[in-house]
Amino acid sequence: MAEAAIHRRITPPGFGEQVADALLSGRGIWPAVPAIVVLTVVAVIPFAILLSLGFSDFEISRGAIVSQTFSLAHLTNALTDPLYWITFQRSMNLALSTTALCLLLGYPVAYLFLTGGRWTKRLILVLTIAPLLTSGIVRTYAWLVILGGRGVLNSALLQTGLIDQALRIMNTHWAVLIGMVQIHLPVMILPLIAVMSRHDSRLVEASENLGASRIGTLRTVILPLSVPGIGTGSALVFTLTYTTFVVPQILGGGNYLNAATMIYEQVVFSLEWSKGSVSSLILMVTCLIVLVAIALLTNHFTKWTKGHDA
Amino acid sequence: MMQGPAGPSNTVETTAPVLGIGAVGKRFGATRVLQNFTLEVAEGEIVTLLGPSGCGKTTLLRCVAGFWEPNGGTIEIDGQDIVDVPVNRRPVGVVFQSYALFPHLTVARNVGYALRMRNRPRAEVAQRVASVLETVSLTGFENRYPSQLSGGQQQRVAIARVLVMEPRVLLLDEPFNALDAKLRGAMQVELRQLIKRLGLTSIFVTHDQEEALTMSDRIAVMSGGKIEQVASPDEIFDRPATAYVADFIGVSNFWETQAETGHVRLPDGQTVMTDLTGGVKVMTRPHNLRLGPPEAGPWKGTVSFHRNVGPLIEYHVEASDGNVIRVSAMRQERDRPVKDRSQVSLSVIDPASCSVYPG
Ligand SMILES: Nc1ncnc2c1ncn2[C@@H]1O[C@H](COP(=O)(O)OP(=O)(O)OP(=O)(O)O)[C@@H](O)[C@H]1O
Ligand SMILES: [Mg+2]
Repeated sequence: MAEAAIHRRITPPGFGEQVADALLSGRGIWPAVPAIVVLTVVAVIPFAILLSLGFSDFEISRGAIVSQTFSLAHLTNALTDPLYWITFQRSMNLALSTTALCLLLGYPVAYLFLTGGRWTKRLILVLTIAPLLTSGIVRTYAWLVILGGRGVLNSALLQTGLIDQALRIMNTHWAVLIGMVQIHLPVMILPLIAVMSRHDSRLVEASENLGASRIGTLRTVILPLSVPGIGTGSALVFTLTYTTFVVPQILGGGNYLNAATMIYEQVVFSLEWSKGSVSSLILMVTCLIVLVAIALLTNHFTKWTKGHDA
Repeated sequence: MMQGPAGPSNTVETTAPVLGIGAVGKRFGATRVLQNFTLEVAEGEIVTLLGPSGCGKTTLLRCVAGFWEPNGGTIEIDGQDIVDVPVNRRPVGVVFQSYALFPHLTVARNVGYALRMRNRPRAEVAQRVASVLETVSLTGFENRYPSQLSGGQQQRVAIARVLVMEPRVLLLDEPFNALDAKLRGAMQVELRQLIKRLGLTSIFVTHDQEEALTMSDRIAVMSGGKIEQVASPDEIFDRPATAYVADFIGVSNFWETQAETGHVRLPDGQTVMTDLTGGVKVMTRPHNLRLGPPEAGPWKGTVSFHRNVGPLIEYHVEASDGNVIRVSAMRQERDRPVKDRSQVSLSVIDPASCSVYPG
């Protein structure tokens, strides 16, 4: 054993060992290096190229850029075009209302998970995770079957005589909203459950022992402690829905223009790369603003976690 | 309901118990955790549940607090059955083993919680919180969060949070578990004095026998979901009702022998009265034994080990019959301790202090 120790001290670690050590040391930036490399290649560089196209006039000949001059024209055009304002507003409305509805529908489910027995918990987990196992596109097409003019919903309503004319839901704002909420609900529920079940169940018991009703406990203990989950869930759902493409495209019937579908058309159909680039930039910046707002709100309501400077 | 210094209400009906637990049972599936558990706690009394891990102490507290519903039996407070009363309407305060302080609330808001949940006016809340914090010596800590307190301070907050609602019955589940030995000793005395001063009827849970001896008016020794004996600390120690209790509390010497008519003969030749017949177990405490020179009596042995425990010397003596007997003697400056490996004789000081159990 003593021999092995000496051996280890006098043999310099090989290069591979050094790299592995650095990566696993958990210090500094090293553990994130693989992710940074991948992201730089597949995301940062292409995005930089795209951005450069948005802020320049350029000529393409035989598939390559031959001349490029800096220009703010695309940006000012976009900011003064009412179509952009309407489209981004529609995206923002859709994302915010989807996030709010997911929170409203998801929170009770997470609460049920917290207070329910073993089987309730299992059932909720299965029902929450199962939809994630199928593709979003499949689920979106399923809504076509349900919401269509001769779909399941209309047939049922017509047959029971609640309505006497098929409702037009498909290809409207409502169809998109319904689809969005259903598809993103698990993304809200899972962080809520994760944060809620991290807390000691004795806290709920202590609250009731001290005289709080169910509602009182929910308001004064469970809700404040689940704020980080609300923040994470909202940020995820908002980001996904604000930039979503598939659901509006399918359930909106091609005439529902949101930010992502607009960018798609600009880049794929009209080949206006500069417009697409500026739209992407606006999309990203506005998204970041909302995310920062969510983060600030979350921080405001979780001051107690930063105990030391209170 | 917090009792002032002996008011007139203290003089009437002192016999009716505040808390009456009658034949309570609790099962989890097929496992019976509590069986026919019966216990009465009088006004202002501290009863300790003492027993090994898993014997059902926490389970009983949770039934009294209402977190779990017992499978049969009655739980009465001031003569009223509370089994169907929801948790938040029971006049019962619980100090949890892990404290369960609200991490997102300051000390003052933790302590004021029960009052706010009862919609008391702000001024009253502030005033009562301040007074309770003073009672537990935490004035000045109002604006700290639980994570900014030491273990002992957190524990005081947990107690203050319950005291503020002036419970009729106080339940404490191993409240000192997270504290180091020295702080534990100090807090035990302090908490007992506080509970006594406030006149709170309490059930205290522990598996530490010294803690039980310090805290209790009466001790209920439990084993497997049942009470083996409930009595004052002195009586439990001096007159353990069963061999289990004798073994569980303090150090005990057992030897097995045969009872003759009306009495049992001790190894040193003396006799103890008993009604039992046949095989019996005799028990005595180490301080009821004495060492002498080897020729002084018939019960001989060899000292195998000794150590000083504060003012006492504790000997392990290997008796000629193979038993290891523990003997303790006062340590006096002049006396040299009996050396290891030396031959001695053993004798019982007071045969009447020996206990005899069925074998
Ligand atoms: N929710 C439950 N489901 C099934 N069995 C349980 C449950 N809670 C407790 N038990 C069992 O009941 C028995 C008594 O548990 P309890 O917590 O009352 O013990 P305790 O006396 O408080 O022990 P400790 O001193 O370790 O705290 C244990 O055997 C335990 O395994
Ligand atoms: Mg316990």
